[in-house]
Amino acid sequence: MKLFDKFNRANLIATISIFLLSSIAFYFLLRYVLVSQVDDSLEIEQQEVEAYVKTYHRLPEPVSVNDQEILFTPSDAPFKKRKIISATLRTERHDEPCRQLTFSINIDQQWYLVTVRNSLEDTDAMTHTIILITLITIGVVLISGQVINRIVLRRLWKPFYQSLDIINNFTISKDAALQLPDSEIDEFTTMNKTLSASIGKAQKDYALLKEFTSNAAHELQTPLAIIRSQLELLIQDAALSEAQSKAVQSADEALDRLARTNKSLLLLTKIENQQYAEKLVVHLREKIVEKLSQVISLYEAKQILVSTEMEETEILMNTDLVDILLNNLLGNAFRHSNDGGRLYIFLDKNSLVVSNDGELSLSLQEGLFTRFYKPSNATGGSALGLSIIRQICDVSGFIVGYRFEAGKHVFSINFTGK
Amino acid sequence: MKILVIEDEKELSQGICIYLGNENFVCETALDYATAMEKTALYEYACIILDINLPGGNGLEILKHLKADGKADGVIIVSARNSLDDKVTGLNAGADDYLAKPFHLSELGARVAAIIRRKSFDGNNTIRFDQLVIDLKQKTVQIGDQQIDLTRKEYEMLLYFLGNKNRVISKNALAEHLWGDDMDLADSYDFIYTHIKNIRKKFIQAGSPDYIKSVYGMGYKFGLL
Repeated sequence: MKLFDKFNRANLIATISIFLLSSIAFYFLLRYVLVSQVDDSLEIEQQEVEAYVKTYHRLPEPVSVNDQEILFTPSDAPFKKRKIISATLRTERHDEPCRQLTFSINIDQQWYLVTVRNSLEDTDAMTHTIILITLITIGVVLISGQVINRIVLRRLWKPFYQSLDIINNFTISKDAALQLPDSEIDEFTTMNKTLSASIGKAQKDYALLKEFTSNAAHELQTPLAIIRSQLELLIQDAALSEAQSKAVQSADEALDRLARTNKSLLLLTKIENQQYAEKLVVHLREKIVEKLSQVISLYEAKQILVSTEMEETEILMNTDLVDILLNNLLGNAFRHSNDGGRLYIFLDKNSLVVSNDGELSLSLQEGLFTRFYKPSNATGGSALGLSIIRQICDVSGFIVGYRFEAGKHVFSINFTGK
Repeated sequence: MKILVIEDEKELSQGICIYLGNENFVCETALDYATAMEKTALYEYACIILDINLPGGNGLEILKHLKADGKADGVIIVSARNSLDDKVTGLNAGADDYLAKPFHLSELGARVAAIIRRKSFDGNNTIRFDQLVIDLKQKTVQIGDQQIDLTRKEYEMLLYFLGNKNRVISKNALAEHLWGDDMDLADSYDFIYTHIKNIRKKFIQAGSPDYIKSVYGMGYKFGLL
């Protein structure tokens, strides 16, 4: 629920109930005042009758006007208490509510009971009209209030939604600084300032981290080159004993892994830094055929059977990244295949699927494509291959997935990004 | 023939010199920009191994001077930055090859040999080694009169060996040369063994001596045994 709707609901409930209560109170107050006026006119009538009787010693002619009637009834005793009550006035047409005053009067020892009735029809009509006008006014006030609120609030909240939109589309790995719109409203200005500051800081931290990784990896290259060259000189020595050779060999293998890891980290940094941004149309089928011809002797040495089912497919991608991606996919399948295993490559317009025989599903699907993920039984490898595959797919707008299906590790890349 | 190594890391440049130097090549080193400029101006080199980041200047400047003076020295750039830009600018500036650190000395050896071959014979030549005759243009290998059919990888491997005669080449270096280093083939070198076995078999069947020797599982050595 939107903030405005939430606020509006509370506001509306309160306003309507206040208006309703005050309307009811207003109705009764108005009616009380008008009825009092009618009562006053009844009393004036009584005074007039009494004055007439006093002057002429006879009853006046009962004059019936439209909304008032007067009745004289002979009576034995005086009416004790003068009182005004609500009663009903019967006319030929219909019954009307009325106020009725009864008092007694004495003319020549004869008591008469005088009843004066005054119709309330006009009063009621007036009350109803006033209440109706009041309710209409309240309605108009409420509706116009809503409309104005909506229009004004939408305009007021506009900078907020703009900021939200900008932040939504913002990637921290990009170099561009966050640009939030200016606002006349203090709260939004403060919000934008705070957001810009904290995102700016996150961006700076990210850049520092990236720079650190890149620098560290670069700085390692030269020492690695020195160690490697020295080891290569060492193995030239014919006087090395077998034990020494073994030691040198394991050092060389470890060095190789270190060099590979470092290279992969550098590659990841470069991909992140958008250094492979230029995209071209790539004929993927030809590319895969070419790659396979390069590595087929590898697969033959392991007696891995390769079967392919490929359509002509064109994708838009950086050409260097295509090579790296295919090398990693094929290298990965090669390393994780047993002798005599099978490798399947399937390619159509939407996806590339590489699968190879395997015994157990790789667990931890979530962590699979993260850096340095290693299944417990695997040795060797830089453990960055899958993360490179993912990074390449990310910058190319593809989606990579893994599943274990019918005894096969299946890696699929979806070009449509869905 | 002389080779010049322009590299500020003393251990590395000495290592390169020891590896490349033999009865045919004299290897010199230059540890900074000024020395490098002086040496390249004074002498002719068959091949120059050039680092880009040098104390006192940029290696690419040396390359520009060489080209401006019309020198025919072959140049291999070695750089720690391993960036596409360095490679592209280097090759555009007239370098013959580019190698990213950390490289295998045997890889460097093979590339230096290739450059010297190209410079000396305009790339249109044959390599002879003992009874072996390799026609680089036709990509054929003969022993005596007999033609040997080698697969592409086997041929590449043979050229690599010839660039590193009498040197022990590690399996790592060989695998990286043949399949590139982003295949991540660590711990799976059986295929190298298979290839070597096939080459040896073909040579011996053609009546040639066995030139390839396995060294303690570390690698292989090519030469007259």
